[in-house]
Amino acid sequence: METKIKSKVFEKFSEATRTLFNPVLQNWKDQGGKIVGYFCSTVPEELITAAGLVPLRMRATGSTSTERSDAFFSSINCSFARHCFNLALTGDFKFLDGVICVNSCDHVRRIYDNWIRFVPDTKFVEVMSLPRKTEATQVAWYRDEINLLRGKLEKHFGVKISDKTLWKAIKLHNETRRLQKKLYELRKQDRPPITGAETLAVMVAGTAMPKEQYNNMLRELLDELKGAKGHSSHRARLMIVGGILDDPEYVSVIEDQGGLVVTDSLCFGTRIMWVQVDESLSDPAEALSKYYVADRPSCPRFYGEHDNRATYIIDMCREFKCDGVIGERLMFCDLWAVEHYMLGQDLKAAGIPMLKLDREYLTGGVGQLRTRVQAFLETMGR
Amino acid sequence: MLVGGCDVGSATGKAVIMRNEEIISYEIIPSTTKPEVTARTVMDMALKKAGLSSISELDYIVGTGYGRLKVPFANENISEITCHARGAQWLLPTVRTVVDIGGQDCKVMSLGENGKVLEFVMNDRCAAGTGRFFEAMARALDCGLQGLSELSLQGKNPATISSQCSVFAESEVVTLVNEGKELSDIVAGLHASIASRLNSMVRKVGLVEDVVLTGGCAKNDGLAKALEDKLGVTVKKLPLDPQIAGAIGAALIAAERVSKQTTKSHA
Repeated sequence: METKIKSKVFEKFSEATRTLFNPVLQNWKDQGGKIVGYFCSTVPEELITAAGLVPLRMRATGSTSTERSDAFFSSINCSFARHCFNLALTGDFKFLDGVICVNSCDHVRRIYDNWIRFVPDTKFVEVMSLPRKTEATQVAWYRDEINLLRGKLEKHFGVKISDKTLWKAIKLHNETRRLQKKLYELRKQDRPPITGAETLAVMVAGTAMPKEQYNNMLRELLDELKGAKGHSSHRARLMIVGGILDDPEYVSVIEDQGGLVVTDSLCFGTRIMWVQVDESLSDPAEALSKYYVADRPSCPRFYGEHDNRATYIIDMCREFKCDGVIGERLMFCDLWAVEHYMLGQDLKAAGIPMLKLDREYLTGGVGQLRTRVQAFLETMGR
Repeated sequence: MLVGGCDVGSATGKAVIMRNEEIISYEIIPSTTKPEVTARTVMDMALKKAGLSSISELDYIVGTGYGRLKVPFANENISEITCHARGAQWLLPTVRTVVDIGGQDCKVMSLGENGKVLEFVMNDRCAAGTGRFFEAMARALDCGLQGLSELSLQGKNPATISSQCSVFAESEVVTLVNEGKELSDIVAGLHASIASRLNSMVRKVGLVEDVVLTGGCAKNDGLAKALEDKLGVTVKKLPLDPQIAGAIGAALIAAERVSKQTTKSHA
């Protein structure tokens, strides 16, 4: 891609994405602030913010090896789980004041099992029980889970999370979502002013700093992008669909082949911001539960929702004028493996080509990735 | 019009020179550790064979293969997936499924009637079903690649090889040898195990006839036979060396570019 964003605020987003304990978090900590890490985007960040803590979505950025953690997992556990837990063992997560896990998948669940047993210096380690269906019964269940966690956060951190403070946090996070959506709206243009790799950096940064500060920075970036010339040298417009992807470098490899990523269904992407938490309900815990379980675009973790997910992706492709879809998954991710197979059939029926890519958590094997993407663009006549 | 296709693979470098959609020369050499050198050497050899004195006589050159970014004289690089499909379709217009087995990867492409790739799958994460696998087995059994193919065709009761990892398959083979199993049955078993892996790749893009094998391993008749058994259809033979299908495809794309340029300049 030709022009890269040259801006101080973008550089801050990029830095927050490239590092685990980024300067903004370090500053927060220096001022006596506390940070709670959470696995998977189904943990309601709003609750952590309402407790006066900064939520940090867990990543294994900077990890280079799994030699310490391999013994704790089996050969069919994904590299995300291994790298994350390796960093836990090497003490790289010592800056965290707590960790919240969720049974979003068996790999993440096993991080929890290992963490409570083998990382005793983390004093607050909790797990949420996430339902697998999206009906009213499950919304009620997750609301109770949210209230349970709310009580535990209050007790451990000695704070009170009133309905009022929770609503305040919800509104703040909804504002983040609105701003992020604005950024995506710019990418609908024929000449998007921001690449997919750059967008991913902005999205990941949003899970790694206090939301107020992030929102201000994002407003600044949106201002800067107004009237930008935009990218025009790409051969195709692509949508990327898959599970945990927090490395902009991976998207860069795709874009260097000439496929500009203009939108996504990712949990560091549209799935965490396309829809807002309903502010018209009376109970904030209920509103959060309804959002996390039923309202927002789901991932294959949820049963019976495949058709809705496929429709979401196809509609998104049309809205953003995508020429094709890249489906990525971490090796051994069973949820995404089957999902991509079915999605490939749905997309074929809709006349949208799809390339399925297996990957490891650390971007490697760039030559192989390049060949696949190049061939994919060639099959589209690009 | 004179054009060239240069396919720099992991095991071999291939060059094809075409004049007006006719192959006038081709060469295959083992790859060196420097893709630029492999490309230059094999192209010079092909030029010499065609009676050409300099590479500047070629109107357009397309590079392909694993080393395609390192073909210094190429006007453009195209992925080996597109090139193999194009080459195979030119050699056999009725082809709809191409199974390409190279030195370090294997891929299956489904083709439309025009030779356009509709879908592809690729295995480049492990050695199973690649030239490296067969080389390792030929070494373990001390029979050479040609011997491997011949032995496979003689096998009457193919042994069960459960491991597709080339390292573990090798130990499994050693065990079978020590148990006194017929060599031909062991080799037939090896081919059956690779063929079943290729079969599952073919099913991912959908089996449509005609099916062809390309790449260096396409010369292994034992493998072709094993694949036919698994697929339940005939694997068609290409009328020319299947190892140069990718380089032919590259040359054909080069020719296409020249025609387009000519049309443009005349318009």
